[in-house]
Amino acid sequence: MTDEPIKLAGQNRIRLVAIGFSVAFLAIAIQLANLTIIKGAVSEDDSLALHQPRLPRPDIVDRNGIVVATDIAVASLYADPRKILDVEEAVESITATVPDIDAKTLRTKLTQPGRAFIWLKRQVSPEERDAVYNLGIPGVGYVNERRRVYPLGRLAAHTVGYVDLDSKGIAGIEKFLDDQGALYTASLAEPETQTASPAQISTDTRVQFALADELERAVTKFRAIAAGGIVLDITTGEIVALVSLPDFNPNQEDKKFRKEQANMMTSGVFELGSVIKAITFAMAFDYGVTNLNGKYDARFPLVIGNASISDYHAQRRVLTVPEIFTNSSNIGTAKMALDVGMEGHQEFLRRVGLFDRLTTEVPESAKPLLPKHWSKLATATAAFGHGFAVQPLQGISVIGGLLNDGVMAAPTFLKRDVAEANVLAKRIVKPETSEKMRYLFRLNVTEGTASKADVIGYRVGGKTGTAEKVVNGRYAKDKLLNSFIGAFPMDNPRYAIIVMLDEPKATPETYGFATSGWNAVPTAGKIIERIAPLLGVKPQFTVEDIEKLAKLAKAAKKDG
Amino acid sequence: MHKFFNACLVLTALVSAFFLYSLEHSTRGHEREIVKLKNNILEEREQIKVLGAEWSSLTRPDRLQKLAQENLKLKTVSASQFVNEAELAAKVPAEPVQMLTEKGKDPIADILKEMQ
Repeated sequence: MTDEPIKLAGQNRIRLVAIGFSVAFLAIAIQLANLTIIKGAVSEDDSLALHQPRLPRPDIVDRNGIVVATDIAVASLYADPRKILDVEEAVESITATVPDIDAKTLRTKLTQPGRAFIWLKRQVSPEERDAVYNLGIPGVGYVNERRRVYPLGRLAAHTVGYVDLDSKGIAGIEKFLDDQGALYTASLAEPETQTASPAQISTDTRVQFALADELERAVTKFRAIAAGGIVLDITTGEIVALVSLPDFNPNQEDKKFRKEQANMMTSGVFELGSVIKAITFAMAFDYGVTNLNGKYDARFPLVIGNASISDYHAQRRVLTVPEIFTNSSNIGTAKMALDVGMEGHQEFLRRVGLFDRLTTEVPESAKPLLPKHWSKLATATAAFGHGFAVQPLQGISVIGGLLNDGVMAAPTFLKRDVAEANVLAKRIVKPETSEKMRYLFRLNVTEGTASKADVIGYRVGGKTGTAEKVVNGRYAKDKLLNSFIGAFPMDNPRYAIIVMLDEPKATPETYGFATSGWNAVPTAGKIIERIAPLLGVKPQFTVEDIEKLAKLAKAAKKDG
Repeated sequence: MHKFFNACLVLTALVSAFFLYSLEHSTRGHEREIVKLKNNILEEREQIKVLGAEWSSLTRPDRLQKLAQENLKLKTVSASQFVNEAELAAKVPAEPVQMLTEKGKDPIADILKEMQ
């Protein structure tokens, strides 16, 4: 090009405008990059925090994954009476679809002048909702709500607990999920999908039912006012089943439960009577004051000050230590505790945790009641369980520890494995002491007061307790609290069981007896027979067992 | 020359505008699809929960026990009914089980009968 470049009029101005635009666009581009790329990562968190929806409440499942508590969407039907054209027709079609709505009350509700909103029925099933919606009545609709349901009903209600109308935990594990267990609950949440993995409890639904079913039968049979039971895995501390009767249904609309319906296994304290003797025996063995060959004179009542201790099954002779256990001799046990001494006794009880409140995930818990002033008499009576009240869960946990090689696992209502349990476990007695306790427990079932719990093949061991209840500050002879604490299989105990019957009565079948050996013990036997296969305990038979079985079969044939 | 260039630019602008709008349209479609699928997922999840609760409620041990007592002749399993694996192995027939079944025999029933 030879021509001079043509200079357009206002070329400079154009250039100026172009530069102006370039600067403006560049500024926008830089800011855009700044906001999206550089600050992008940081601002994402801020916006999430602002818009994070409420985390869903985790479901609760049992140790095998069976749903115990879950949230489901439910619809509630409502009506706007002003919009309903033909009340008569609406009433007719609604009551035909949902039979439990009363036609008369519905008619009066719908004809009220000036009302803009009435509930037809709260929390209906999806089928009912669709059916009513499909009626196509103008002014009738539904709103979605969430509701906590417990598909298993009364089963395991004390462990699981329940929530109020705002889905806030009120009792049991449900309360734990909101309160102390809030961190645990948060760990289950998966915010991205707005879901939560379920909380897995240690309860085995099948074992729970077997326990509840047999206890209910025992309550009817022995006309007891209440009953309770726990099955504990003593190696991990997991509470496989916990029943407290009378129980309640967590699905019940109004949650006004009576005091008796509370979880007596953790929130109540009871004098377990002779069951406590097992602790005294372990103490005496562990301090080395006696052993299985020891002997104590039980010919005369033991007199301390102006109190006298005597035996229920008085033998009036010198008893060996195993005999003291199987005859449940108060005199012998008291003498063993006196040999240990007051300080030693208190030190031992402190060591096994009986001075402290046992706390688990389930918030309802009670502190043990011990003698206020330790004296010689207090030691002697506490040795066989008088003036010594404890929550049954704590009782079984200590006994479980005595039998589990002397290592007590911390009881829990959540599923855990052995490694986790070992971190929290505590040695309470020497392994040799545990060995002796196992022998005594098994002996007491083969030839002692707990013989009716001997389910042949499952090597049950146990100790009975018949405690008189305290009424107006005195022991009442006719009001008993019977218990049995046992474990199986005794050669390597894995599961401990406690059965308690409150005020069982004598029946013709028990020949007028109402002591533990006649009601709590056979009940425990029936429970063990049902749960041992569920828990995977393999039966084993000795020669004597086979002979016994043959005898039983013969007797059954004769009767049949 | 300028005219042609301008025409090209206009055409490019039109084509890119069309492309942009169609892209946006399909994006909106996808977005709608996503919302729909998310809702479906939520609904399915909800359904799973309801069915899980229902399953749990229908397999309630007390309900099963009642049904079993009414309709089946079963008793509580006793310890003596369990047999060791070793004991069982001794009673397995020499011939493969499958061949016996083909012949119309029921080897397992035979073992049970023998044990009774």
